Amino acid sequence: MVRELIDAIGEQAVVWHDEDLLVYEYDGTIDRGNPDVIALPASTEDVVNLIKIANRYDAPVTPRGAGTGLSGGALAVKGGVIIGMNRMRAILDIDVENKTALVQPGVVNLDLGAEAERHGLAYAPDPSSQRACTIGGNVAENAGGPHTLAWGTTTNHVLALELVTADGEVQWIGHETRDDPGYDLVGCVVGSEGTVGIVTQALVRLVPRPTAVRTLLAVYDSVRQASNAVSAVVASGIVPAALEMIDKMTIAAVEPVLNTGFPLDAEAVLLVEVDGPDSQVEAEGARVEGILNRFEPREVRSATDPEERETLWAGRKGAIGALGQIMPNYYLLDGVVPRTKLPDVLDGVYEIADRYRLPVANMFHAGDGNLHPCLLFDEREPGATERVLDAGGEIMRLCVDAGGAITGEHGVGLEKRDYLPWIFSEADMEAMKSLRAAFGPTENFNPCKIFPKGHGCGEADHQHAQHQIARFGPKAFV
Amino acid sequence: MADAETADVAAIQGLFGNVDFDSARLQRYEVDGQVPRAAIRASTIGDVERAQSVATSRDLAVVPMGGRTMLGLGMPPSRYDVALDLFGMNQVVDYEPDDFTITAQAGMTLASLQQELAANGQFLPLDHPRFEQATLGGICAVGRGGLRRNALGGPRDWLIGMRMVKADGTTIKGGGKVVKNVSGYDLPKLFAGSLGTLGVIAEVTFKLRPQPVSDQVVALPADSFEQALAASRAAARAAPFLDGCLALSEQAAARAAGHGAEILEDRPALVLRASGLESAANEVLATALDAAGLEGLQEPPRRTTAIVESWQAITDCELDTRADHVRLRLGLPPGRLERARLLISELLPRVSSWIAAGDSGLLFLETPSADADSVRALRDGLGPLQGRLSIESAPVELKRNADVWGPVGPGGRLMHRVKEQFDPEGTLSPGRYVDGI
Repeated sequence: MVRELIDAIGEQAVVWHDEDLLVYEYDGTIDRGNPDVIALPASTEDVVNLIKIANRYDAPVTPRGAGTGLSGGALAVKGGVIIGMNRMRAILDIDVENKTALVQPGVVNLDLGAEAERHGLAYAPDPSSQRACTIGGNVAENAGGPHTLAWGTTTNHVLALELVTADGEVQWIGHETRDDPGYDLVGCVVGSEGTVGIVTQALVRLVPRPTAVRTLLAVYDSVRQASNAVSAVVASGIVPAALEMIDKMTIAAVEPVLNTGFPLDAEAVLLVEVDGPDSQVEAEGARVEGILNRFEPREVRSATDPEERETLWAGRKGAIGALGQIMPNYYLLDGVVPRTKLPDVLDGVYEIADRYRLPVANMFHAGDGNLHPCLLFDEREPGATERVLDAGGEIMRLCVDAGGAITGEHGVGLEKRDYLPWIFSEADMEAMKSLRAAFGPTENFNPCKIFPKGHGCGEADHQHAQHQIARFGPKAFV
Repeated sequence: MADAETADVAAIQGLFGNVDFDSARLQRYEVDGQVPRAAIRASTIGDVERAQSVATSRDLAVVPMGGRTMLGLGMPPSRYDVALDLFGMNQVVDYEPDDFTITAQAGMTLASLQQELAANGQFLPLDHPRFEQATLGGICAVGRGGLRRNALGGPRDWLIGMRMVKADGTTIKGGGKVVKNVSGYDLPKLFAGSLGTLGVIAEVTFKLRPQPVSDQVVALPADSFEQALAASRAAARAAPFLDGCLALSEQAAARAAGHGAEILEDRPALVLRASGLESAANEVLATALDAAGLEGLQEPPRRTTAIVESWQAITDCELDTRADHVRLRLGLPPGRLERARLLISELLPRVSSWIAAGDSGLLFLETPSADADSVRALRDGLGPLQGRLSIESAPVELKRNADVWGPVGPGGRLMHRVKEQFDPEGTLSPGRYVDGI
């Protein structure tokens, strides 16, 4: 098979020596996969050929972008071929008049943003990994980011896709025009986590670039106070562009590295951003500042200058990296709850972390009710990884019990597939699988992801399920 | 009545108290001249489940419906035995204002929902004609954005969860009750815009927005629709944060005035809408008005305090058609609107009414003179502009001959496969959707 892959796309584009495969065993999660070979196509035609070769050898296919995923979606759990899209990284067209961009999947999120900016436009979804993550990966995961509060997630910004399905057929789905007659296949493919095909081109919407932006930072002595301030901002009739919270542990990690000026003894910091036309930003900024001040902040700072704003944001977007200061490993969770449940769920998160003797750092999209508890550990310590996974499971359960869901923007992937039955019945999952079946023979296409039972993953599934039942009891399942 | 039909009737009657077999009353469920044999008025999800299970097992074709405001949309059904009326399922299921989400039954009207939300300073940002009659389920099944779709998007963008009954009577759900969620495949998006061909939408959950502090609508009279359209493009370019930006022909403006839009009269007009804090809305409007002024719209803008009513009056025009006229809907990238107008004027000399959203490339037009050949010629001409032309309202004959939806493109193969997966017996709204689905 490797010989055929090389014949198809050239020796330089195929990686199969053990030492070279190492970097493809990981993504942003704890889990690992062991691919047999990596193929790096340069065109849609290459992707078609690769899929057809893999199918002939009955080899599993796993699509991959930058490998920054946080749910194990790009891991080759059953081996086989990883198709890495990084070489297809051209921005093919920016249509200023109609505010769209046509891009290849390997384009880095921030690069598209920069190109749009040159035309006075912006690409709205801005996951924290935007310096590395690619549009193809964003489409697969329906990526979000701090600014999705006002603008929505990736699914609200994709108009059309060129898709190579699991049987190696190419088709365009969606259209330049919104609300095109026909099923919303784009809406189905965005967020399908690479389980129905590989996106080879994407036509995305660009949005007008706000003429003004103001970022406010408020420091509080308790997470409750900060949460109440969040509720008050949301209730005021203003929809901020972003509304983020970071807690004490996160501050402790970022401050020494990034010198953001956050007081080390503060319990919570809120970041609120308003953008739009000048007069709106001025008026909304003043109003938000007034609200933040009502909840006895230690201080409220405000920045309109891009450099100052960048400094305020550095503490949020650089938080994950900075956590390495405290412990060598982290496990980043992605629960989402109705916003009113945030304060109680946060209390629960701290309680669980405490019980498992794990430091926890919280940084999250408070406006969306999307939590990102980050459990810190050292994998060299015996039993630490298991403890972290168990605590993670409990936190997920807490979110589900609060009326929430198991993932807000990172995807189910490999990591949370056993939790899917907590929120969906057998019939719900069967319906989802029938949607997948419409895209062709997908059993070998990014196998063992999203769904708790997959062809050939039975062994692992059974062990996983027994472990889950031992921890949470059989009643935990819908 | 044939034996089989008697048995069908008995099967349905055995399950429900509120089944209508009265041929006079069944007229109101008429779709493209076809009248069903029975109408089941569901009050609960359980009713929908039982209706579907008996209908599918007896191979009866079902058309689910709500307020029936858009029942004329789509191809004539290839079969139609049972009308499944969800208008009685009109309750709020779950509403926690501070979460900015609401769950309601599919038969609730958009107007009642908005009323409920307004009490808490919130709203669902969707435009839909005849919103006092149109239901949430129907709006989702039609699944498209309205005249403000550039700023607001469509139902798909606000839907976060859905409960639907499959053809075989099984209830499934997708999404949830949280504003951001990627758990599992996005089934609500699949069902939004599926026109009742995949399952029956029974319950929907939306995310919400706070009502803006200030909301403004102004109209600028123009000399012609052509001038109003050029001004709408100029305004949209200059003020991209506008909420709405419409060009109306004389007849469309007159109709909207008749529906209660007091800012309009019997003259072509540019209508602008902006919202936010007052100073912001003012700034956006001022920028847009300046741009329109440069296009020759110099008369003072007409303002109103009846914002929602005026806008709804214009939106209602989407459903107005003279009985002998044909109404068409065109979607295309907004930068090509003016070229599309030229092309249409050339191929359809007698367009009687135009409404265009200059910021999103949406165009409604009405004509007394369209036939299947002219629709085909229009589609051929609009193809290179990436325009998609569908027939909104027309005699059944024309709908059949010209195809309401037009060619669906290469994605059609996948759409047929989706339909086969969800409705293998082909009993849900058969034939009404694209490509014979």
